Amino acid sequence: MDKQQEYVLRSVEERDVRFIRLWFSDVLGTLKSVAIAPAELENAFEEGIGFDGSAIEGLTRSFEADMIAVPDPSTFQILPWRGDTQGAARMFCDIKSPSGEPAMADSRNVLKKALDRAAEKGFTFYTHPEVEFYLFEDMSTDTPPVPVDRAGYFDNVPRGTGNNFRREAITTLEAMGISVEFSHHEAGPGQNEIDLRYADALTTADNIMTFRAVVKEVAMAQGVFASFMPKPLGDAPGSGMHTHMSLFEGDRNAFYEAGAELQLSPVARQFMAGLLKHAPEITAITNQYVNSYKRLWGGAEAPSYVCWGHNNRSALVRVPVHKPGKGPSSRIEYRAIDAAVNPYLAFAVMLAAGLKGIDEGYELAAGAEDDVWELSPTERRSLGYEPLPSSLAEAVHVMERSELVAETLGEQVFDYVLRNKRDEWQSYRAQVTSYERERYLPLL
Amino acid sequence: MAGRAISSAAVLRRAGIVDPSRAAEHLTNLAEVFPHVATHASEYLHEVADPDLAVLQGLRLAEACTAAQQRADVDETWQRHPRRVWGILGGSAALGDFLVTHPEYVSDLAYRESPWTTSSDTVRGVLLDAIGADGEAPIPVATEDDPVPAMRIAYRRHLLVIAAEDLAHPHPTDIMPRVSEALSDLADAALEASLAIARSQVPEHAQAQLAMIAMGKTGARELNYVSDVDVVYVADAAPHADKDSAMEIATALATTAARVCDAPGSEPALWAVDAALRPEGRDGPLVRDVVSHAAYYREWAATWEFQALLKARPAAGDRALGRAYIKALAPLVWEASSRDNFVADAQAMRTRVEENIALAEQDRHIKLGPGGLRDVEFTVQLLQLVHGRMDTTLHVARTLDALQALRDGGYVGRPDAERLSSAYRQLRVLEHRLQAYRMKRTHVMPTEEAARRRLARGARLGQIEDLDHVWTTTTREVRALHLDMFYRPLLPVTASLTAEEARLSPEAAQERLTALGFADAAAAQRHLAALTKGVSRRAAIQRQVLPAMMGWIAQGADPDAGLLAFRNVSDQLRDSSWFLTLLRDSRTAGERLGALLSTAPYVTTALLASTESITWLDSDEELTPRSRERLSAEADAILSRSDDAVQCITALRNVRRRELVRAAAANVLGIVDSVSAARAVTLAADIVVQGALRIACHEVALRNGQSQLPFDMAVVAMGRYGGMEMGYVSDADVMYVYEPHQGADEDDCHRAARKVAEECALLLQRPLSQPPLAVDADLRPEGRSGPLARSLESFREYYARWSEPWEAQALLRCRTVAGNEGLREKFVSLIDGVRYPTHVTDDALDHMRRLKARMESERLPRGVDPRRHLKLGPGGLSDVEWVVQLVQLRHAHEVPSLRTSVTLEALHAAVEADLVDASDAATLEAAWRAATELRGAIALRGRPAHAVDVMPTAAHELRALAAIVGQGRTGEEEDDNWARLARRCRRVMERLFYEWEEKR
Repeated sequence: MDKQQEYVLRSVEERDVRFIRLWFSDVLGTLKSVAIAPAELENAFEEGIGFDGSAIEGLTRSFEADMIAVPDPSTFQILPWRGDTQGAARMFCDIKSPSGEPAMADSRNVLKKALDRAAEKGFTFYTHPEVEFYLFEDMSTDTPPVPVDRAGYFDNVPRGTGNNFRREAITTLEAMGISVEFSHHEAGPGQNEIDLRYADALTTADNIMTFRAVVKEVAMAQGVFASFMPKPLGDAPGSGMHTHMSLFEGDRNAFYEAGAELQLSPVARQFMAGLLKHAPEITAITNQYVNSYKRLWGGAEAPSYVCWGHNNRSALVRVPVHKPGKGPSSRIEYRAIDAAVNPYLAFAVMLAAGLKGIDEGYELAAGAEDDVWELSPTERRSLGYEPLPSSLAEAVHVMERSELVAETLGEQVFDYVLRNKRDEWQSYRAQVTSYERERYLPLL
Repeated sequence: MAGRAISSAAVLRRAGIVDPSRAAEHLTNLAEVFPHVATHASEYLHEVADPDLAVLQGLRLAEACTAAQQRADVDETWQRHPRRVWGILGGSAALGDFLVTHPEYVSDLAYRESPWTTSSDTVRGVLLDAIGADGEAPIPVATEDDPVPAMRIAYRRHLLVIAAEDLAHPHPTDIMPRVSEALSDLADAALEASLAIARSQVPEHAQAQLAMIAMGKTGARELNYVSDVDVVYVADAAPHADKDSAMEIATALATTAARVCDAPGSEPALWAVDAALRPEGRDGPLVRDVVSHAAYYREWAATWEFQALLKARPAAGDRALGRAYIKALAPLVWEASSRDNFVADAQAMRTRVEENIALAEQDRHIKLGPGGLRDVEFTVQLLQLVHGRMDTTLHVARTLDALQALRDGGYVGRPDAERLSSAYRQLRVLEHRLQAYRMKRTHVMPTEEAARRRLARGARLGQIEDLDHVWTTTTREVRALHLDMFYRPLLPVTASLTAEEARLSPEAAQERLTALGFADAAAAQRHLAALTKGVSRRAAIQRQVLPAMMGWIAQGADPDAGLLAFRNVSDQLRDSSWFLTLLRDSRTAGERLGALLSTAPYVTTALLASTESITWLDSDEELTPRSRERLSAEADAILSRSDDAVQCITALRNVRRRELVRAAAANVLGIVDSVSAARAVTLAADIVVQGALRIACHEVALRNGQSQLPFDMAVVAMGRYGGMEMGYVSDADVMYVYEPHQGADEDDCHRAARKVAEECALLLQRPLSQPPLAVDADLRPEGRSGPLARSLESFREYYARWSEPWEAQALLRCRTVAGNEGLREKFVSLIDGVRYPTHVTDDALDHMRRLKARMESERLPRGVDPRRHLKLGPGGLSDVEWVVQLVQLRHAHEVPSLRTSVTLEALHAAVEADLVDASDAATLEAAWRAATELRGAIALRGRPAHAVDVMPTAAHELRALAAIVGQGRTGEEEDDNWARLARRCRRVMERLFYEWEEKR
């Protein structure tokens, strides 16, 4: 029993925790939870909790059901919305096979392995996501949902549900040890953005999982409905999850070089080149749903073309404005990724793409200065701005051929994602939508 | 006295002088300056390592004393402490030179207080004083103008005292621990002084706190004369200082301090300061704060890094910070051993280190070689880590202290502990003497005669022969002790161990067995009890053999099964004395038996059926597959010895069984790969089929009252058998062909040929004392409804009528294996026309592709995940084979090298002929080989024939497969590796076979 485990056991005792939720993610990034009683906790640390993995999307080979969830004590948190006494707590788990080897199908393990590979080169990977989501009055799937307000970017809505909601959500998140950097009202009605503070990628990914759960819980408590769906409203902007990234060597920001163009080191430029080159391959991971492509190709600042720019909001990769005197904050922002992502897998492939650029010494093309959306198709082609896949089907097709993604995810997850996404596309294609009926029925 | 030799040549020779006339001349000259010293020299020279050197250095020292006062001082010290001065002059050329350069320091050798009792604070004070720093100040800073040489000289003066006391001692192994402690204290003091000097050069030093943590030998206070000093740095900001800039300042301090110790200068450098043990190694930041250190060990550190941490100790710099570091990290050390595979990881690391030493030096390497110091440390640390989780008395850093704690706790036997302790001291003394001579970092036993002689004398061992003897016995002892100490205490109390030997408590035994990978420790203890029970000679040898066997069994995939199998084998061979004798005398045989029993149930079963095969394990030659010629000759001898059909076929089946065991054992042990093993298995089938056909022909002729059958007959191998790719449990696919002699009655011949075929199958398959070979003739034309044996003419007609592409394709794998040579040739030239056609129509190609596509969806057994099917799944064997066969069908007509039934040969020929791109071929071959390896491994795990095509899902099975495949992958990784190779293979196959376009 190590110190952290002891600490958890003690906290459970002192805080009179009645249930401990063991959290992990399935391959799609959906949060799964097994509740155990405090009495089982010591055993859970030592041997893990066995469960039937075949019930969880993509977690096991089809014939082997036994899996073990081993809680990571460093992720222990009291769940604030359960009240202070007799409450519940959560820990994230690593999933292992019955013989104790890390399960290849565990998303968290996929990210850990990617981070290990970075660590072998001396790098730590930091991320900082800006998570967008909508608040609706309720969840209705047959009629378009009604946003809780109609304000615009940065508007302060007097007594808006959104404000209360945000205050509550932030308080809850802070209570769970998740620092929130900034929050403002996004461009769409009822849309919100909350930024999670810079942290190493594994912590960030855990935080995103927690964050999504907290937001949904808090919304429910206030009688509204929160959704991370990438494009819930046809005529309003979608919900993305722009993610800032940087590599550190020890305590030094490896992306920073004083005096270089945009203060970007060669490492940063190669990382960016890798990310851009492999962007189409990883899109089925960073934008994993049919609906994701409606945001990606819905205009309104959506980054549909593979290019980068300095503070260019139409580019796929943006280098944010450098704040003078704040050297170590050099970073780049990936804008394709959306809020419905599996953060473990997405961070893993984004990191792998960047590292590939460093390993192979990719050259970074010139940055884009114009609004890419304003260019004509011929102009874009002549500038070499390739489009990202335009649909889930196309993204899956590109990913199928990607050694980079296969190696990063491991064959089991890779294969599972491909099959799952092909199925999704097929069932989507089988739909006859009201759009089609309205347009064709009278005519044909 | 000038002009007269002061000592006779005989006296000098007796004292160990090699060149008496030169020595006498030097002594004569020495006598001119120091008559008393020279006269009495021979009384002391026999004690020094290199008397010739001592005399020469003595003369140089005398000549260096130019001033009268100095001469008098030196003379006085030398007269009063002759052993110390002569010891230095003859034991260390480097320190002798130091005295010649600085004769004023000779009087240091008149020290009163032994260096063993000098406190570390005193030494620290001396070095700080030399650079004008205040030893009492909390943060001492150097004030001397040129402090680096001053510090180095002060260091060497104290080193001189330590060496003098050490070299003059008659029993160096007794005081070795004292020497190491004194050297460690001196190194600490040097680090402290170097930091004080660094502070004088880094003006903002006060903003940063820095502690130097000694690791490795320095950390454990068991340093030798010259070694890299391993350190890690912990830093923090001073109160109210900015953290970022404090870390930069701390880095500058650390870098500067290291340079003070190891940069070249007017006074030579001390030793290299090595910070490579820090988190992330050489790529990591030089300094970190406590939190960052702890986080690293919690998240990232590998097993060996915890072993290193075992020895961490604050050596210099900020004391409070150093203590905070230890407080935060020490508990983590003891959690490491609860990691999965901890012992295996540690052992793998040790093996890697050994493999990294240059081969020529390996056996002479005192530190890293087999039986060297690292082995001792490794044994002790491993036991410490296994038991230290529960027992805090084992939390000590020094090897010798830890050994004592292990002994006191009953974890190792008292005699073992004492033997290991004295071996360790002996090795350390050799190392110390070797290094003291030139003060160079060396760990290799010298080969040069003079150096060996010096070492033998310096270590007080006597002559070169004595040195060699001590070296051999000590290293051998260390090796043996590792196994003994680790495994012997596991033997139960009933094993009548002597009273002196350790008896582990049941809990400790359990702990150790679990650490070794035994899932059911209680069962393991029962087996051990059963094996060692009683007072028989057998039980006595078992007690001797078991510690090593346990070690080897524990390294296999399934230690529990391995130990049980070992018990079964031992029980079966309880009356065969050769078995235990073999294990006792041959390390190779024992190691291999352990590996086989704990990894491959198929081999275990086979060995239990034919225990004599165990004797092969001693020899690579015996494990190499037998050639076709050798096996054929053996079969001929069997057939000519007897006319009894049953006797003959039994003997032949025995040959096949024996060759199967050989191939399987060699395959598991990595002596042959699966492809060669499959070839050996096929060869064994050939031999027994040839014999069966000969016997069958003979029997049928006999029954028909003929001396000879009126037709020729041959057996044709098909499928994997034809391709020389049989598995251990495969059926043999065959066809029978005959050709009537001229004038013979066709119908009679046909009837008799069918009889021969039936008899042949019966001989191969009927239950006898030796295992059968299952034969399957269903691949013949018209399958089961076609005649069992077909005449050559009938084959000709059949193929003329039916030239379905798939039939031609099946013929690609045909190989005649038995029967009349002439007929075999005719048959081959007949089918060559079919299987190597001049033209393949598009229709035929479409047909083939459709057939393959249908097979992919229909042939797979129900309920099996296609991707796990090694033969028929995507990227499996059949994908590769169909690609190769397509190329063969199309091109073998004009490319003769493609005409082979062996898949890989055909693939290589296709590359040679530019028909398949080399990188595509490599992708196909990698998947094909992997599938073959895995199928072989699954059969070796004892799975029946129908299961070998499916990759298992159970985690422990995957791990066992990985162990047999032997590429150092975990089970999950093995699974992942197969999926990857299969995916790539499938992509190539789709392009080459289906000719699907790759689109973006």
